[in-house]
Amino acid sequence: MNLVTTSSAEPNPSAGPMTEPAPAPRRRVPGWLSAMLWVAIAITVVSTTSYFTGLPELTSSGTVQTALRLALPIMLAGLGGLWAERAGVINIGLEGMMIMGTWGAAWGGYQWGPWAGMLAAAVFGALGGLVHAVATITFNVNHIVSGVAINLLGAGVTKYLSTLIFAPISQNPRESPAVPKFDTFSVQPLTDWLRSLEDLQRVGISDVAGILRGLLINVSPLTLIAILLVPVSFFVLWRSPFGLRLRSCGENPVAAESLGVNVYRYKYLAVTASGALAGLGGAALVLQHGQPGYLEGQTGGRGFIGLAAMIFGNWRPGGLLGGAALFGYTDGLQLRRGEETVHALLYGAVLFLVALAIFQLIRRRWLPMVIAGASAGLLYALYWYTDELPEQLTPYAPHFLTLIVLAVAAQRLRPPAAIGATYRKGEGG
Amino acid sequence: MRRMRGVVLAVIALTGAMSLVACAKDAGRRGSVGGQAAACKLADKPELIPGLIATTTATGERIDGSHLRVGLAFDVGGRGDESFNDAAAAGIDRAKEELGITDVREVTASHQESEDVKQSRLRQLAQDGFNPIIAVGFSYADSLEAVAPEFPNVRFALVDATVEGAPNVTPLLFSEEQGSFLVGVAAAYKSRNCHVGFVGGVETPLIQKFEAGFLQGAKAAAPDIRVDVKYLTSAGDFSGFNDPEKATHSTRGLLDRGADVIYQAAGGSGKGVFAAVDDADGAMAIGVDSDQYKQKNLAAYRDVIITSMLKRVDVGVVDFLRAVAKNDLSAMPDVLNLKENGVDYATSGGKLDDIEDVLEAYKSQIIAGNIEVRDRPGA
Repeated sequence: MNLVTTSSAEPNPSAGPMTEPAPAPRRRVPGWLSAMLWVAIAITVVSTTSYFTGLPELTSSGTVQTALRLALPIMLAGLGGLWAERAGVINIGLEGMMIMGTWGAAWGGYQWGPWAGMLAAAVFGALGGLVHAVATITFNVNHIVSGVAINLLGAGVTKYLSTLIFAPISQNPRESPAVPKFDTFSVQPLTDWLRSLEDLQRVGISDVAGILRGLLINVSPLTLIAILLVPVSFFVLWRSPFGLRLRSCGENPVAAESLGVNVYRYKYLAVTASGALAGLGGAALVLQHGQPGYLEGQTGGRGFIGLAAMIFGNWRPGGLLGGAALFGYTDGLQLRRGEETVHALLYGAVLFLVALAIFQLIRRRWLPMVIAGASAGLLYALYWYTDELPEQLTPYAPHFLTLIVLAVAAQRLRPPAAIGATYRKGEGG
Repeated sequence: MRRMRGVVLAVIALTGAMSLVACAKDAGRRGSVGGQAAACKLADKPELIPGLIATTTATGERIDGSHLRVGLAFDVGGRGDESFNDAAAAGIDRAKEELGITDVREVTASHQESEDVKQSRLRQLAQDGFNPIIAVGFSYADSLEAVAPEFPNVRFALVDATVEGAPNVTPLLFSEEQGSFLVGVAAAYKSRNCHVGFVGGVETPLIQKFEAGFLQGAKAAAPDIRVDVKYLTSAGDFSGFNDPEKATHSTRGLLDRGADVIYQAAGGSGKGVFAAVDDADGAMAIGVDSDQYKQKNLAAYRDVIITSMLKRVDVGVVDFLRAVAKNDLSAMPDVLNLKENGVDYATSGGKLDDIEDVLEAYKSQIIAGNIEVRDRPGA
């Protein structure tokens, strides 16, 4: 689905920047197929690693469940970033909106139950988004400055509100009383069958069964809605006239205006929706089974990681889902088992890099091939000469991984063209 | 022709990859998921040495402290945190009763405040004539180092840390490892899988004292017990004290591997540990700092909390105020041990009734000095 970059061989430099030269280049792989391909590659690499290192933990349903839970808030924050940035507004205030979401979820949940909590989280997040929208769109405040302000504001406002409302009930201004949670559901007969498959410990089959079972047991409505929001975002933003107009505001607002699009309105809608999504991300830290409720500082930078996941995913819903899943999976592994499994991931990375090198070899792109091959060798040496990673490093494995992938992928990223730019109605000239 | 060569190269590389695939190392298989399902072979129970365990702290002597004006600087959370701030507050409340102290000012730190704010808070208390002044939490260590020399006639006390070169600062230290040893023994006796776990918030020397004591206690009671340790974050990254979500997943990982008694020293993340234990069949948890069985915000998890390692900051505070009232600080112990009731284990809930004699026996052995508890793991 990427706009194919043919800039190096641009035949006509005087062509407008927004027009793709005809004839349209042939797309080899459609988006859904490449997504399936990536999933297949990931499963193959992980299950091969799991088999050869003798660590079934890598694909156990417990690990996958943890990964899903950890990925959820990151994914929702990333979706929030996607909506805002596709409309041309940088949203570094996701963290603040998420904090407001956690407070809203705890308050609404405590008063009227989990569904109301979810709604309140979205509303509170949207309020944060609205403030950001007023600052950046109406008053043209620098997007980064406003975003940082929202982060400080989110932390401050919730601190004030929780002292005001929660402290008399919980006797502690830093946390809410216990909040009712969403019930969870399992796809019963299917998961029992998958469990028996997983317990067989056969290569491949058990891995896939473990992964599927992890995704199908203890699913809460919040999880389901959050995951559905990814395709929903895709169809709204890429397959509807509304989405086309919204994205055009992020690519070239002046052109959009000349075609009669009310840019202000679309930007406002996008940034408010962005806040609501980040707020839902906050709810995913409060309303899931076993979570204690609102706690000051509990988001711990997940909003920023969501933003990174979105950039990782090249400002696309499928890509950000992959980024969030990668982060959640690595984090889940290191939290559950730590040193050994993350060490085994090194081996998995070697397999992946070798595959990449072969792929580049077939396409006869020599430099990427050499780089991939050399990194594979280096990682393998590291893997071979160590038994486990130092305990002090493993908590940051997900961050390292994200950093590395971002550094590798940065060449191919394409942000919306007018992102962060100021726009005034009628100034297009 | 060039295409041919590419294919040949690819074939070579593929062969290489295949051989690499067979080169994965065997994992050192430190026990499989699930663990052995048999209780521990327990070591012989030590002898109870009578007469060593103090039943009360009260010395009987009536001391008048009504002339004292006490300043109390809480760490983040303050009164109501159901942790060590509350324990300090309980100490003040008791001192008011026992010593007749009436003039107390309490101030509380806020999240992520700067060093200057801490210093001026302490300075303000000293300038307003409060003496003694008690600072709760090691985060005050640096500020006290700066402020204490400015007020040589004011007596300061600092919970959980020492200040070098400031004779007017009395450190109130606790031997967390001794209390943790006892709950380690309890964990070994209660475990059905002979496999227990420890979840630490942040890997600091303070939390390592908890780990070291727990490890040694469990091994003393059951030499072949397996103890799994997990810290949420490394030193310097204090988010590990405040992330119950991470604690839940780490605990689930420990439980999935077969640990069935989990001891937590993870501050605000501790709730996540209890939530995960509450979810698992037959698993038990051990709380920390105060009697977590009695905490209102943890009432939902009460059934799984078999005991808590008590760190009696209240005892330290009362002892210090008593010493100041008598104008004799020489009687203050360097570290508040089991002997001084500075640390202990909780019995509320009655889950330890059957093994209390064992724990008391170990306790007496530690007080007598027959068991020396290390304060660093693996040392």
